[in-house]
Amino acid sequence: MSLLAASNLTKRYRRGGKTVIAVDDVSFHIEPGETLALAGPSGSGKSTIARLALRLIEPDAGRIEFEGGDFLALRGATLRARRARLQMVFQDPLAAFNPRATVARALDDPLRIHGIASRGERPRRIAELLERVGLPADLASRAVHEISGGQRQRVAIARAIATKPSLIVLDEAVSALDVSVRGQILELLLDLQREQKIAYLFISHDLGVVRAVAHRIILLDAGRIAESGEARAVVDAPRSAIGKALVAAAPRLDRSIRHNAP
Amino acid sequence: MSPLRRFLRAPEAVAGAILLSALMAMALSASLLFPSDPQAIAGPALLPPFQDWSLPLGTDRLGRDVLAELFHGARTSLAVGLAAAAASLAIGAVVGTLAGFAGGLVDEVLMRITDAFQTVPGFLLALAFVSVVGPSLGAVVIAIALGTWTGPARIARAEVLSIRERDYVASARAIGMHPLEIAFREVLPNALPPVLAMSSVIVAAAILTEAALSFLGLGDPNRVTWGGMIAEGRTVLRTAPFLSIVPGMALVLTVLGVYLAGEGIVETTAVRRGLS
Repeated sequence: MSLLAASNLTKRYRRGGKTVIAVDDVSFHIEPGETLALAGPSGSGKSTIARLALRLIEPDAGRIEFEGGDFLALRGATLRARRARLQMVFQDPLAAFNPRATVARALDDPLRIHGIASRGERPRRIAELLERVGLPADLASRAVHEISGGQRQRVAIARAIATKPSLIVLDEAVSALDVSVRGQILELLLDLQREQKIAYLFISHDLGVVRAVAHRIILLDAGRIAESGEARAVVDAPRSAIGKALVAAAPRLDRSIRHNAP
Repeated sequence: MSPLRRFLRAPEAVAGAILLSALMAMALSASLLFPSDPQAIAGPALLPPFQDWSLPLGTDRLGRDVLAELFHGARTSLAVGLAAAAASLAIGAVVGTLAGFAGGLVDEVLMRITDAFQTVPGFLLALAFVSVVGPSLGAVVIAIALGTWTGPARIARAEVLSIRERDYVASARAIGMHPLEIAFREVLPNALPPVLAMSSVIVAAAILTEAALSFLGLGDPNRVTWGGMIAEGRTVLRTAPFLSIVPGMALVLTVLGVYLAGEGIVETTAVRRGLS
Protein backbone atom coordinates (compact mmCIF):
# COMPACT_ATOMS: atom_id res chain seq x y z
CA MET A 1 0.00 0.00 0.00
CA SER A 2 1.25 3.46 -0.84
CA LEU A 3 2.33 5.84 1.89
CA LEU A 4 0.60 8.75 0.18
CA ALA A 5 -1.77 8.44 -2.75
CA ALA A 6 -3.24 11.54 -4.34
CA SER A 7 -5.86 11.10 -7.00
CA ASN A 8 -7.38 13.63 -9.38
CA LEU A 9 -6.21 16.65 -7.39
CA THR A 10 -7.48 19.95 -8.77
CA LYS A 11 -6.88 23.44 -7.45
CA ARG A 12 -8.16 26.65 -9.02
CA TYR A 13 -7.40 30.22 -8.04
CA ARG A 14 -9.50 33.23 -8.85
CA ARG A 15 -7.39 36.20 -9.86
CA GLY A 16 -9.21 39.38 -10.80
CA GLY A 17 -12.28 37.61 -12.16
CA LYS A 18 -10.26 35.07 -14.15
CA THR A 19 -9.93 31.50 -12.96
CA VAL A 20 -6.43 30.07 -13.06
CA ILE A 21 -6.12 26.31 -12.81
CA ALA A 22 -2.96 25.76 -10.76
CA VAL A 23 -3.27 21.98 -10.50
CA ASP A 24 -5.37 20.09 -13.01
CA ASP A 25 -6.40 16.49 -12.32
CA VAL A 26 -3.04 15.30 -10.94
CA SER A 27 -2.64 11.80 -9.49
CA PHE A 28 0.49 10.32 -7.95
CA HIS A 29 1.63 8.04 -5.16
CA ILE A 30 4.67 7.80 -2.91
CA GLU A 31 5.95 4.52 -1.44
CA PRO A 32 7.54 4.32 2.04
CA GLY A 33 11.20 5.34 1.97
CA GLU A 34 10.99 6.53 -1.62
CA THR A 35 11.97 9.88 -3.13
CA LEU A 36 9.49 11.21 -5.66
CA ALA A 37 10.57 14.32 -7.50
CA LEU A 38 8.17 16.94 -8.80
CA ALA A 39 9.86 19.04 -11.46
CA GLY A 40 8.68 21.63 -13.91
CA PRO A 41 9.03 25.28 -14.88
CA SER A 42 7.85 28.13 -12.62
CA GLY A 43 4.08 28.21 -12.34
CA SER A 44 3.68 24.57 -13.27
CA GLY A 45 1.99 23.82 -9.93
CA LYS A 46 4.83 22.15 -8.02
CA SER A 47 4.50 24.19 -4.86
CA THR A 48 0.71 24.11 -5.00
CA ILE A 49 0.83 20.31 -5.00
CA ALA A 50 3.22 20.39 -2.03
CA ARG A 51 0.87 22.60 -0.09
CA LEU A 52 -2.13 20.46 -1.06
CA ALA A 53 -0.34 17.33 0.14
CA LEU A 54 0.31 19.03 3.49
CA ARG A 55 -3.20 20.46 3.65
CA LEU A 56 -1.86 23.97 4.01
CA ILE A 57 -4.42 24.67 1.27
CA GLU A 58 -7.50 22.63 0.39
CA PRO A 59 -8.03 21.07 -3.05
CA ASP A 60 -11.17 21.86 -5.10
CA ALA A 61 -11.43 18.21 -6.10
CA GLY A 62 -9.61 14.94 -5.60
CA ARG A 63 -8.60 12.58 -2.83
CA ILE A 64 -5.51 12.21 -0.67
CA GLU A 65 -4.86 8.98 1.19
CA PHE A 66 -2.09 9.12 3.76
CA GLU A 67 -0.91 6.07 5.72
CA GLY A 68 -4.06 4.23 4.70
CA GLY A 69 -6.59 6.88 5.82
CA ASP A 70 -8.54 9.62 4.08
CA PHE A 71 -6.31 12.63 4.81
CA LEU A 72 -8.82 15.18 3.54
CA ALA A 73 -11.48 13.99 6.00
CA LEU A 74 -9.41 14.91 9.05
CA ARG A 75 -10.40 17.99 11.02
CA GLY A 76 -9.15 19.99 14.02
CA ALA A 77 -7.22 18.09 16.65
CA THR A 78 -7.02 14.81 14.70
CA LEU A 79 -5.59 16.64 11.70
CA ARG A 80 -3.06 18.44 13.87
CA ALA A 81 -2.00 15.17 15.49
CA ARG A 82 -1.64 13.55 12.05
CA ARG A 83 0.62 16.39 10.88
CA ALA A 84 3.41 14.89 12.99
CA ARG A 85 3.82 12.21 10.29
CA LEU A 86 3.99 14.65 7.39
CA GLN A 87 6.52 17.45 7.53
CA MET A 88 7.88 20.14 5.27
CA VAL A 89 11.15 21.96 4.60
CA PHE A 90 10.85 25.28 2.82
CA GLN A 91 13.02 26.90 0.17
CA ASP A 92 13.99 30.00 2.12
CA PRO A 93 15.12 28.88 5.58
CA LEU A 94 15.04 32.44 6.88
CA ALA A 95 11.38 32.96 5.99
CA ALA A 96 10.45 29.57 7.42
CA PHE A 97 11.21 30.58 11.01
CA ASN A 98 9.56 33.12 13.22
CA PRO A 99 11.93 36.12 13.16
CA ARG A 100 11.95 36.10 16.96
CA ALA A 101 12.68 32.40 17.37
CA THR A 102 15.80 30.88 18.81
CA VAL A 103 16.99 27.52 17.51
CA ALA A 104 15.88 25.90 20.77
CA ARG A 105 12.36 27.32 20.52
CA ALA A 106 12.00 26.29 16.89
CA LEU A 107 12.84 22.70 17.81
CA ASP A 108 10.94 22.76 21.10
CA ASP A 109 7.59 23.50 19.42
CA PRO A 110 7.07 20.16 17.60
CA LEU A 111 8.29 18.18 20.63
CA ARG A 112 5.89 20.04 22.91
CA ILE A 113 2.88 20.07 20.59
CA HIS A 114 3.00 16.35 19.90
CA GLY A 115 3.93 15.45 23.47
CA ILE A 116 7.07 13.69 22.30
CA ALA A 117 9.17 14.67 25.30
CA SER A 118 8.45 16.12 28.72
CA ARG A 119 9.53 19.65 29.54
CA GLY A 120 12.61 18.46 31.43
CA GLU A 121 13.59 16.04 28.71
CA ARG A 122 13.29 18.45 25.79
CA PRO A 123 16.67 20.25 26.04
CA ARG A 124 18.40 16.87 25.71
CA ARG A 125 16.19 15.91 22.74
CA ILE A 126 16.93 19.25 21.08
CA ALA A 127 20.67 18.65 21.52
CA GLU A 128 20.25 15.17 19.98
CA LEU A 129 18.35 16.58 17.01
CA LEU A 130 21.00 19.23 16.41
CA GLU A 131 23.72 16.63 16.61
CA ARG A 132 21.83 14.39 14.17
CA VAL A 133 21.78 17.14 11.53
CA GLY A 134 25.46 17.89 12.11
CA LEU A 135 25.20 21.01 14.22
CA PRO A 136 26.83 21.74 17.61
CA ALA A 137 24.41 21.52 20.55
CA ASP A 138 25.36 24.98 21.81
CA LEU A 139 23.72 26.46 18.72
CA ALA A 140 20.40 26.00 20.54
CA SER A 141 20.61 29.32 22.36
CA ARG A 142 21.28 31.33 19.19
CA ALA A 143 18.60 33.27 17.32
CA VAL A 144 17.65 31.67 14.00
CA HIS A 145 18.43 34.86 12.09
CA GLU A 146 21.99 34.91 13.44
CA ILE A 147 23.16 31.60 12.01
CA SER A 148 24.23 30.89 8.43
CA GLY A 149 21.86 29.81 5.65
CA GLY A 150 23.22 26.27 5.58
CA GLN A 151 22.93 25.93 9.36
CA ARG A 152 19.41 27.32 9.20
CA GLN A 153 18.37 24.72 6.64
CA ARG A 154 19.85 22.04 8.90
CA VAL A 155 17.72 23.40 11.76
CA ALA A 156 14.70 23.25 9.45
CA ILE A 157 15.48 19.60 8.73
CA ALA A 158 15.92 18.95 12.47
CA ARG A 159 12.50 20.49 13.06
CA ALA A 160 10.99 18.32 10.33
CA ILE A 161 12.43 15.06 11.72
CA ALA A 162 11.62 15.95 15.36
CA THR A 163 8.20 14.29 15.11
CA LYS A 164 9.52 11.16 13.35
CA PRO A 165 7.58 11.70 10.13
CA SER A 166 7.12 9.10 7.41
CA LEU A 167 7.06 11.74 4.65
CA ILE A 168 8.84 15.07 4.30
CA VAL A 169 7.95 17.52 1.56
CA LEU A 170 11.09 19.32 0.41
CA ASP A 171 9.92 22.43 -1.45
CA GLU A 172 13.04 23.59 -3.33
CA ALA A 173 14.82 22.83 -0.05
CA VAL A 174 18.32 23.08 -1.51
CA SER A 175 17.72 25.63 -4.28
CA ALA A 176 18.60 28.70 -2.19
CA LEU A 177 21.84 27.24 -0.85
CA ASP A 178 25.26 27.64 -2.42
CA VAL A 179 26.68 24.66 -4.23
CA SER A 180 29.04 23.31 -1.55
CA VAL A 181 26.39 23.52 1.17
CA ARG A 182 23.81 21.99 -1.19
CA GLY A 183 25.87 18.80 -1.52
CA GLN A 184 26.17 18.44 2.26
CA ILE A 185 22.45 18.99 2.83
CA LEU A 186 21.56 16.43 0.13
CA GLU A 187 23.97 13.99 1.78
CA LEU A 188 22.27 14.56 5.14
CA LEU A 189 18.81 14.03 3.62
CA LEU A 190 19.90 10.75 2.00
CA ASP A 191 21.44 9.57 5.30
CA LEU A 192 18.22 10.32 7.16
CA GLN A 193 16.22 8.48 4.51
CA ARG A 194 18.36 5.35 4.83
CA GLU A 195 18.29 5.53 8.62
CA GLN A 196 14.62 6.30 9.28
CA LYS A 197 12.94 5.11 6.05
CA ILE A 198 11.54 8.59 5.41
CA ALA A 199 9.91 9.22 2.04
CA TYR A 200 10.55 12.54 0.30
CA LEU A 201 8.38 14.55 -2.04
CA PHE A 202 11.26 16.42 -3.61
CA ILE A 203 10.27 19.57 -5.44
CA SER A 204 12.92 21.11 -7.62
CA HIS A 205 13.53 22.73 -10.96
CA ASP A 206 17.12 21.46 -10.98
CA LEU A 207 17.09 18.22 -12.97
CA GLY A 208 20.73 17.52 -12.12
CA VAL A 209 19.90 17.31 -8.41
CA VAL A 210 16.71 15.38 -9.14
CA ARG A 211 18.61 12.77 -11.15
CA ALA A 212 21.06 12.32 -8.28
CA VAL A 213 18.58 11.88 -5.42
CA ALA A 214 15.15 10.87 -6.72
CA HIS A 215 13.86 7.39 -7.48
CA ARG A 216 10.94 8.50 -9.61
CA ILE A 217 10.04 11.80 -11.20
CA ILE A 218 6.91 13.58 -12.31
CA LEU A 219 7.31 16.41 -14.82
CA LEU A 220 4.63 19.04 -14.58
CA ASP A 221 3.55 21.57 -17.14
CA ALA A 222 0.79 24.12 -16.54
CA GLY A 223 -0.69 22.11 -13.69
CA ARG A 224 -0.80 18.77 -15.56
CA ILE A 225 1.49 15.78 -15.52
CA ALA A 226 3.54 15.89 -18.71
CA GLU A 227 5.67 12.84 -18.09
CA SER A 228 6.56 10.48 -15.28
CA GLY A 229 8.84 7.53 -14.71
CA GLU A 230 12.13 6.40 -13.25
CA ALA A 231 14.16 9.55 -12.52
CA ARG A 232 17.35 8.71 -14.40
CA ALA A 233 15.55 7.41 -17.44
CA VAL A 234 13.34 10.49 -17.70
CA VAL A 235 16.17 12.99 -17.19
CA ASP A 236 18.50 11.18 -19.60
CA ALA A 237 15.92 10.74 -22.34
CA PRO A 238 12.84 12.90 -21.84
CA ARG A 239 9.95 12.20 -24.19
CA SER A 240 7.68 15.17 -23.47
CA ALA A 241 8.31 18.63 -24.93
CA ILE A 242 8.60 20.21 -21.48
CA GLY A 243 11.05 17.50 -20.39
CA LYS A 244 13.26 18.16 -23.40
CA ALA A 245 13.11 21.91 -22.76
CA LEU A 246 14.04 21.50 -19.08
CA VAL A 247 16.96 19.19 -19.87
CA ALA A 248 18.19 21.55 -22.59
CA ALA A 249 17.97 24.49 -20.17
CA ALA A 250 20.00 22.77 -17.45
CA PRO A 251 23.50 24.27 -17.40
CA ARG A 252 26.23 21.84 -18.40
CA LEU A 253 29.87 22.72 -18.14
CA ASP A 254 31.21 20.72 -21.11
CA ARG A 255 28.74 22.08 -23.61
CA SER A 256 29.16 25.73 -22.64
CA ILE A 257 32.91 25.39 -23.05
CA ARG A 258 32.48 23.91 -26.50
CA HIS A 259 30.11 26.72 -27.49
CA ASN A 260 32.47 29.41 -26.33
CA ALA A 261 35.47 27.93 -28.09
CA PRO A 262 36.58 29.77 -31.24
CA MET B 1 25.21 52.74 17.48
CA SER B 2 22.89 51.44 20.18
CA PRO B 3 19.24 52.54 20.14
CA LEU B 4 19.72 54.26 23.51
CA ARG B 5 22.61 56.37 22.21
CA ARG B 6 20.61 57.28 19.12
CA PHE B 7 17.65 58.22 21.34
CA LEU B 8 19.89 60.46 23.46
CA ARG B 9 21.15 62.25 20.37
CA ALA B 10 17.71 63.58 19.43
CA PRO B 11 17.11 66.75 21.49
CA GLU B 12 13.31 66.57 21.31
CA ALA B 13 13.35 62.96 22.51
CA VAL B 14 15.57 63.92 25.44
CA ALA B 15 13.28 66.84 26.28
CA GLY B 16 10.31 64.45 26.22
CA ALA B 17 12.12 61.94 28.38
CA ILE B 18 13.02 64.64 30.93
CA LEU B 19 9.41 65.87 31.10
CA LEU B 20 8.16 62.32 31.49
CA SER B 21 10.68 61.48 34.20
CA ALA B 22 9.72 64.66 36.05
CA LEU B 23 6.09 63.61 35.87
CA MET B 24 6.90 60.13 37.12
CA ALA B 25 9.03 61.55 39.93
CA MET B 26 6.07 63.74 40.90
CA ALA B 27 3.68 60.81 40.83
CA LEU B 28 5.98 58.53 42.81
CA SER B 29 6.99 61.11 45.42
CA ALA B 30 3.47 62.49 45.95
CA SER B 31 2.71 60.53 49.10
CA LEU B 32 6.24 61.03 50.46
CA LEU B 33 6.33 64.80 50.03
CA PHE B 34 2.67 65.37 50.78
CA PRO B 35 1.66 62.52 53.07
CA SER B 36 -1.52 64.20 54.28
CA ASP B 37 -4.76 64.20 52.28
CA PRO B 38 -4.31 66.64 49.36
CA GLN B 39 -8.01 67.42 49.58
CA ALA B 40 -7.70 68.63 53.20
CA ILE B 41 -7.64 72.32 54.02
CA ALA B 42 -4.06 73.52 54.50
CA GLY B 43 -4.30 77.28 54.86
CA PRO B 44 -6.28 80.42 54.03
CA ALA B 45 -8.39 80.28 50.87
CA LEU B 46 -7.18 81.73 47.55
CA LEU B 47 -3.62 82.35 48.66
CA PRO B 48 -1.68 83.43 45.52
CA PRO B 49 1.50 81.51 44.56
CA PHE B 50 4.97 82.45 45.88
CA GLN B 51 3.60 84.25 48.95
CA ASP B 52 3.93 81.67 51.67
CA TRP B 53 6.82 79.22 51.20
CA SER B 54 5.08 76.48 53.12
CA LEU B 55 2.43 76.66 50.38
CA PRO B 56 4.57 77.57 47.31
CA LEU B 57 1.81 77.47 44.71
CA GLY B 58 -0.79 78.94 47.02
CA THR B 59 -4.21 77.54 47.85
CA ASP B 60 -7.50 77.14 46.06
CA ARG B 61 -11.00 78.35 46.85
CA LEU B 62 -11.27 76.02 49.85
CA GLY B 63 -7.73 76.58 51.10
CA ARG B 64 -6.24 73.33 49.77
CA ASP B 65 -2.53 73.18 48.92
CA VAL B 66 -2.23 73.53 45.11
CA LEU B 67 1.25 71.98 44.94
CA ALA B 68 0.08 68.89 46.84
CA GLU B 69 -2.92 68.64 44.55
CA LEU B 70 -0.66 68.95 41.53
CA PHE B 71 1.59 66.11 42.73
CA HIS B 72 -1.32 63.83 43.55
CA GLY B 73 -3.02 64.77 40.27
CA ALA B 74 0.10 63.62 38.40
CA ARG B 75 -0.60 60.15 39.77
CA THR B 76 -4.12 60.06 38.42
CA SER B 77 -3.13 61.43 35.03
CA LEU B 78 -0.26 58.99 34.65
CA ALA B 79 -2.21 56.00 35.96
CA VAL B 80 -5.23 56.69 33.76
CA GLY B 81 -3.11 57.52 30.72
CA LEU B 82 -1.01 54.36 30.92
CA ALA B 83 -3.84 52.04 31.94
CA ALA B 84 -6.18 53.32 29.24
CA ALA B 85 -3.48 53.07 26.57
CA ALA B 86 -2.54 49.57 27.69
CA ALA B 87 -6.18 48.48 27.67
CA SER B 88 -6.80 50.07 24.28
CA LEU B 89 -3.68 48.51 22.72
CA ALA B 90 -4.49 45.11 24.22
CA ILE B 91 -8.11 45.12 22.98
CA GLY B 92 -7.05 46.48 19.59
CA ALA B 93 -4.24 43.97 19.13
CA VAL B 94 -6.41 40.99 20.09
CA VAL B 95 -9.39 42.04 17.95
CA GLY B 96 -7.17 42.96 15.00
CA THR B 97 -5.23 39.70 15.21
CA LEU B 98 -8.36 37.55 15.43
CA ALA B 99 -10.01 39.40 12.53
CA GLY B 100 -6.96 39.28 10.29
CA PHE B 101 -5.98 35.73 11.11
CA ALA B 102 -9.40 34.08 11.07
CA GLY B 103 -10.68 35.92 8.00
CA GLY B 104 -14.13 35.25 6.57
CA LEU B 105 -17.16 35.77 8.79
CA VAL B 106 -15.18 36.42 12.00
CA ASP B 107 -13.26 39.17 10.20
CA GLU B 108 -16.48 40.68 8.81
CA VAL B 109 -18.20 40.74 12.21
CA LEU B 110 -15.23 42.09 14.15
CA MET B 111 -14.48 44.80 11.61
CA ARG B 112 -18.12 45.95 11.45
CA ILE B 113 -18.05 46.26 15.26
CA THR B 114 -14.84 48.27 14.88
CA ASP B 115 -16.57 50.49 12.30
CA ALA B 116 -19.46 51.04 14.69
CA PHE B 117 -17.14 52.16 17.48
CA GLN B 118 -15.15 54.34 15.12
CA THR B 119 -18.16 56.26 13.86
CA VAL B 120 -19.13 57.33 17.40
CA PRO B 121 -16.94 60.20 18.66
CA GLY B 122 -14.64 58.79 21.32
CA PHE B 123 -15.32 61.49 23.86
CA LEU B 124 -19.07 61.09 23.55
CA LEU B 125 -18.69 57.37 24.10
CA ALA B 126 -16.57 57.97 27.20
CA LEU B 127 -19.06 60.51 28.49
CA ALA B 128 -21.99 58.14 28.00
CA PHE B 129 -20.15 55.21 29.57
CA VAL B 130 -19.07 57.10 32.70
CA SER B 131 -22.47 58.66 33.22
CA VAL B 132 -24.09 55.20 33.08
CA VAL B 133 -21.52 53.25 35.12
CA GLY B 134 -20.67 56.02 37.54
CA PRO B 135 -17.42 57.93 38.00
CA SER B 136 -14.56 55.77 39.26
CA LEU B 137 -10.99 55.39 38.12
CA GLY B 138 -11.68 51.98 36.53
CA ALA B 139 -14.74 53.28 34.69
CA VAL B 140 -12.75 56.22 33.32
CA VAL B 141 -10.01 53.89 32.08
CA ILE B 142 -12.52 51.60 30.33
CA ALA B 143 -14.41 54.60 28.93
CA ILE B 144 -11.26 55.98 27.33
CA ALA B 145 -10.16 52.58 26.02
CA LEU B 146 -13.60 52.10 24.40
CA GLY B 147 -13.02 55.13 22.21
CA THR B 148 -9.39 54.45 21.25
CA TRP B 149 -9.01 50.70 20.57
CA THR B 150 -10.20 50.89 16.97
CA GLY B 151 -7.00 52.48 15.62
CA PRO B 152 -4.71 49.76 17.01
CA ALA B 153 -7.21 47.11 15.84
CA ARG B 154 -7.09 48.31 12.22
CA ILE B 155 -3.31 48.54 12.18
CA ALA B 156 -2.91 45.12 13.81
CA ARG B 157 -5.32 43.56 11.29
CA ALA B 158 -3.49 45.03 8.29
CA GLU B 159 -0.17 43.76 9.64
CA VAL B 160 -1.59 40.31 10.41
CA LEU B 161 -3.01 40.00 6.89
CA SER B 162 0.50 40.26 5.48
CA ILE B 163 2.14 38.11 8.17
CA ARG B 164 -0.30 35.20 7.91
CA GLU B 165 0.90 34.43 4.37
CA ARG B 166 4.53 34.06 5.48
CA ASP B 167 6.29 30.73 5.39
CA TYR B 168 6.82 30.59 9.14
CA VAL B 169 3.07 30.63 9.70
CA ALA B 170 2.73 27.79 7.19
CA SER B 171 5.46 25.87 8.99
CA ALA B 172 3.74 26.43 12.33
CA ARG B 173 0.61 24.89 10.82
CA ALA B 174 2.65 22.07 9.34
CA ILE B 175 4.04 21.11 12.76
CA GLY B 176 0.46 20.96 14.03
CA MET B 177 0.30 24.11 16.16
CA HIS B 178 -3.15 25.14 17.35
CA PRO B 179 -4.57 28.09 15.33
CA LEU B 180 -4.96 30.24 18.45
CA GLU B 181 -1.37 29.59 19.43
CA ILE B 182 -0.26 30.50 15.90
CA ALA B 183 -2.30 33.72 16.06
CA PHE B 184 -1.06 34.86 19.45
CA ARG B 185 2.45 33.40 19.60
CA GLU B 186 3.68 33.48 16.01
CA VAL B 187 1.68 36.27 14.39
CA LEU B 188 0.74 38.83 17.07
CA PRO B 189 4.26 39.54 18.43
CA ASN B 190 5.48 40.24 14.91
CA ALA B 191 2.50 42.50 14.18
CA LEU B 192 3.04 44.60 17.31
CA PRO B 193 5.74 47.17 16.40
CA PRO B 194 3.52 49.41 14.21
CA VAL B 195 0.72 49.08 16.78
CA LEU B 196 3.01 50.11 19.64
CA ALA B 197 4.11 53.11 17.60
CA MET B 198 0.64 54.51 18.27
CA SER B 199 0.98 54.25 22.03
CA SER B 200 2.33 57.77 22.63
CA VAL B 201 -0.58 59.33 20.76
CA ILE B 202 -3.03 57.19 22.73
CA VAL B 203 -1.46 57.95 26.11
CA ALA B 204 -1.55 61.67 25.33
CA ALA B 205 -5.17 61.48 24.17
CA ALA B 206 -6.12 59.44 27.23
CA ILE B 207 -4.62 61.99 29.62
CA LEU B 208 -6.54 64.77 27.86
CA THR B 209 -9.79 62.80 27.82
CA GLU B 210 -9.44 62.05 31.53
CA ALA B 211 -8.89 65.75 32.23
CA ALA B 212 -11.92 66.64 30.12
CA LEU B 213 -14.11 64.11 31.95
CA SER B 214 -12.93 65.46 35.32
CA PHE B 215 -13.53 69.00 34.12
CA LEU B 216 -17.14 68.02 33.45
CA GLY B 217 -17.34 66.49 36.91
CA LEU B 218 -17.24 62.89 35.71
CA GLY B 219 -13.85 62.02 37.17
CA ASP B 220 -13.31 59.91 40.26
CA PRO B 221 -14.50 62.27 43.06
CA ASN B 222 -12.14 60.67 45.58
CA ARG B 223 -9.04 61.58 43.64
CA VAL B 224 -7.41 64.85 42.78
CA THR B 225 -7.18 65.29 39.03
CA TRP B 226 -5.78 68.11 36.96
CA GLY B 227 -9.01 68.37 35.01
CA GLY B 228 -10.92 68.66 38.26
CA MET B 229 -8.54 71.39 39.45
CA ILE B 230 -9.11 73.39 36.27
CA ALA B 231 -12.87 73.04 36.71
CA GLU B 232 -12.53 74.14 40.31
CA GLY B 233 -10.50 77.20 39.28
CA ARG B 234 -12.91 78.16 36.52
CA THR B 235 -15.33 79.81 38.95
CA VAL B 236 -12.62 82.25 40.11
CA LEU B 237 -10.90 82.62 36.75
CA ARG B 238 -10.88 86.42 36.87
CA THR B 239 -9.59 86.84 40.42
CA ALA B 240 -7.31 83.79 40.74
CA PRO B 241 -6.34 82.63 37.23
CA PHE B 242 -3.34 80.66 38.56
CA LEU B 243 -5.74 78.00 39.87
CA SER B 244 -6.54 77.04 36.27
CA ILE B 245 -3.22 77.98 34.72
CA VAL B 246 -1.04 75.81 36.99
CA PRO B 247 -2.79 72.45 36.31
CA GLY B 248 -3.28 73.54 32.69
CA MET B 249 0.47 73.98 32.27
CA ALA B 250 1.07 70.63 33.91
CA LEU B 251 -1.29 68.99 31.39
CA VAL B 252 0.37 70.68 28.43
CA LEU B 253 3.86 69.69 29.55
CA THR B 254 2.80 66.11 30.28
CA VAL B 255 1.14 65.59 26.91
CA LEU B 256 4.10 67.23 25.20
CA GLY B 257 6.51 65.01 27.12
CA VAL B 258 4.63 61.81 26.31
CA TYR B 259 4.40 62.75 22.67
CA LEU B 260 8.05 63.76 22.23
CA ALA B 261 9.39 60.72 24.08
CA GLY B 262 7.08 58.42 22.12
CA GLU B 263 8.13 59.95 18.80
CA GLY B 264 11.76 59.60 19.86
CA ILE B 265 11.31 55.89 20.57
CA VAL B 266 9.49 55.32 17.27
CA GLU B 267 12.20 57.19 15.36
CA THR B 268 15.06 55.26 16.91
CA THR B 269 13.42 51.87 16.42
CA ALA B 270 12.45 52.80 12.85
CA VAL B 271 16.07 53.59 12.04
CA ARG B 272 17.15 50.32 13.56
CA ARG B 273 14.62 48.34 11.52
CA GLY B 274 15.57 50.23 8.40
CA LEU B 275 19.23 49.36 8.78
CA SER B 276 18.80 45.66 9.43
